Amino acid sequence: MINIDCYAYSNNLKTIHPAEKSLLAMSTMVVCLTSPTIITPLIILTFMTGGIIIKAGIPSRVFLNLMLVPLSFLFISVLTIAFSISTDPSGFWLAQTINGLTIGTRYPELVTAIHLFLKSLGAVSCLYFLALTTPITEIITILHKLKVPAIITELMVLIYRFIFVFMETATTIRRAQSSRLGYVSLKSSYRSLSRLFTALLGKVFVKSQELYNAMSARGYTGEINVLTKKYPVSHKNYLLIVGFELPLILLNLLGR
Amino acid sequence: MNLPKVILEAVDLKYAYPDGTSALRNVNLQVERGERLALLGSNGAGKSTLFMQFNGIYRPNSGCIKYQGQAISYTNKALIELRKKVGIVFQDPDSQLFSASVYQDISFGPLNLGLSDETVADRVKQALKDTETTDLEDKPTHLLSYGQKKRVSIAGVLAMEPEVIIFDEPTAGLDPRHALEFMHLLKKLSDSDKTIIISTHDVDLAYSFSDRVAIICSGEIIAHGEPGEIFMQPDLIKRADLALPWLIEMHYELVKKGWLSPSTPLPKTKEELLLTIPKKNQQSA
Repeated sequence: MINIDCYAYSNNLKTIHPAEKSLLAMSTMVVCLTSPTIITPLIILTFMTGGIIIKAGIPSRVFLNLMLVPLSFLFISVLTIAFSISTDPSGFWLAQTINGLTIGTRYPELVTAIHLFLKSLGAVSCLYFLALTTPITEIITILHKLKVPAIITELMVLIYRFIFVFMETATTIRRAQSSRLGYVSLKSSYRSLSRLFTALLGKVFVKSQELYNAMSARGYTGEINVLTKKYPVSHKNYLLIVGFELPLILLNLLGR
Repeated sequence: MNLPKVILEAVDLKYAYPDGTSALRNVNLQVERGERLALLGSNGAGKSTLFMQFNGIYRPNSGCIKYQGQAISYTNKALIELRKKVGIVFQDPDSQLFSASVYQDISFGPLNLGLSDETVADRVKQALKDTETTDLEDKPTHLLSYGQKKRVSIAGVLAMEPEVIIFDEPTAGLDPRHALEFMHLLKKLSDSDKTIIISTHDVDLAYSFSDRVAIICSGEIIAHGEPGEIFMQPDLIKRADLALPWLIEMHYELVKKGWLSPSTPLPKTKEELLLTIPKKNQQSA
């Protein structure tokens, strides 16, 4: 997760307008999820992989590792769709019958499973494209422009910032505990962990009060207003997005 | 325009925390326009609490804070006005930076002043330049080093262009090089007519930087005056759990051992001290 965050700030596409990247990722994801054919997700998966590795310059090993995360979940769910157990051996395409019980897959079910597998993987690649090329702060700005209520976007700003502050605090506490043999046995690990959480909770309250004071000192009156950096708007990119999505949508309609 | 000489003043200030701990017993302190004031005190002496009073975050139990001779009012509008003039840079940058984006965080203060987006963009740019953080503007705050975070948090206050800037323990946690760079920045700010207040327990820094020193001890200002005068009173310094600046101790020792004549003025910097020490053959001559 921290890796993704680092790449979001340092990839080759960071100068592209975040709205353009979001539009590409989101529209492609919708196209992918609504596709009735196997071809569309395959094209999208190839395109997004190319975009992430070649265009954004994310190391292929990193991307591969990230794709492996949903893969295990996907395999389990896809297997349960593809394979079924029945007492009636008719209709099975690939099956094994033991003691009157047939375990195997029927052809349409196999197709459904593969379709679902590729659709999910394609959608995940779209999300990774957005996450790896666009910092959260920019995504929050776009949500704000899309009129998402301020309470949600402001909370996102603070939560995102303090994930890192508290992670650092937790790491420090854990290190201090381990250096005093806090995690040598299972029992002491449980005890240390509970103390870590208690200490962290206390820190949360102190930090939030400090933050409130510091923000008040800079004129905070209940609304977080910030200026966002301007990115150059590229009409060419919008045309490219439309040029990419239209054939895919057409393909989807034809495949119906 | 004839502005009053005293820009910020604490009058008979008393403050206790909600749990009853008395933090400020009876504080009287005048801050003059354009001066460099160092507030010296040991841990828990009440430095930070006093600063929070100057900016209207804490409200005194009795006594008052005056800005340009007028007691401050605690209505929202008046507080915004005050905070426009008096900025605080907090000790821990992690509790000051609320946004993960350096640029967004710096723009927060000036936007709260109701300035236009263009003005704010200009101010952010200038503040980034003044604190030498321009190359950090696209970086997320959590990937910055401590010193970088500190500079960004200063930029966030500079962008509001306050007249008085209060720095709470500014060099705590900075390595010598960055501490020195920071002092240069403070001098630059001071030269542009800003009033600077710093709190510290680094006596060397307070001695060489400030025009005036105030010593706070258990919630009371026990002395204030020119650094040369204040540090002439070793008892006072000891009472406040502080130490003498090494420059002064060295100077005393040199006078005592006869290397310097008692009329030699106190050195303000290391270079000044070294210059006053005569060569061995000059001494005998």
